Amino acid sequence: MKAADSTHPLPRVYKPEMQRGWWLRQRHYFLYIIREFTALPMALWLLWLLYEIQRASNGPKGYYPPSSAAFIAFSIIVLAFALYHSYTFLSLAGVIIHIKGVQSWLIVLSQFAAWLVASAVIAAVLIGFAR
Amino acid sequence: MNHEGHAKNPKTAYTHLIWWFLFAQGGVIAAILVPIHVLVQGILGPLGIVPVVDRHYDTWIRVLGNPIVKLYLLVLIAVPFFHFAHRLRYLLVDLGVPAARSLPAQVIFYGGAVVITAVTIWVLLTTVPISFG
Repeated sequence: MKAADSTHPLPRVYKPEMQRGWWLRQRHYFLYIIREFTALPMALWLLWLLYEIQRASNGPKGYYPPSSAAFIAFSIIVLAFALYHSYTFLSLAGVIIHIKGVQSWLIVLSQFAAWLVASAVIAAVLIGFAR
Repeated sequence: MNHEGHAKNPKTAYTHLIWWFLFAQGGVIAAILVPIHVLVQGILGPLGIVPVVDRHYDTWIRVLGNPIVKLYLLVLIAVPFFHFAHRLRYLLVDLGVPAARSLPAQVIFYGGAVVITAVTIWVLLTTVPISFG
């Protein structure tokens, strides 16, 4: 191994180098990072929902539903990220799920149909039990 | 996440299975259930476009007392955090924080999802008593 040592004095270790801002250089990288980032706004919104549930324990006098412009703006931003998560995640089903004899576009379509049905049911409950 | 048991000792990686199951289910739940909640409770309700159940105390506690609603809310709120934990941990790795791969980081992120699950259960059980009305 001496010959090898003289040509390569240091052990050759692969060091992946990612420069700062690498994800801004290509549209695909950027969209990938956005897809991963969608988790943060959705997490914040679900924590808010948990807080909204907890506030019901304050009694009728202490309960105020959120109405501020800031909260609505926050929700609009979260909705944009949530929709992007839905679109990317449900589209992946065609790659992940394999059923013999069923084409992948049909699987993706079924996922989007499930999303539509679930959304309609949830909206019906949220609005239907209101006054 | 353990990678033991490959080839030499082919036992089922149950911890792997559980975490990946939670990651995948969290992704599905977030994809299918979250947008409509944000749209209705976060935008349409506050703007007064449609009446929404959480706009009034009496309608809100009535649904929150329902055991099926409690179970649903537990799934809606807690399970996606196992998905978020994984994605955000690797987002940090991708953005140049290799420490996010470490065991302490795993404990913080996945442990955080477990803590949120426990808090959600506690909030759902203590906020409004279970009622079938």
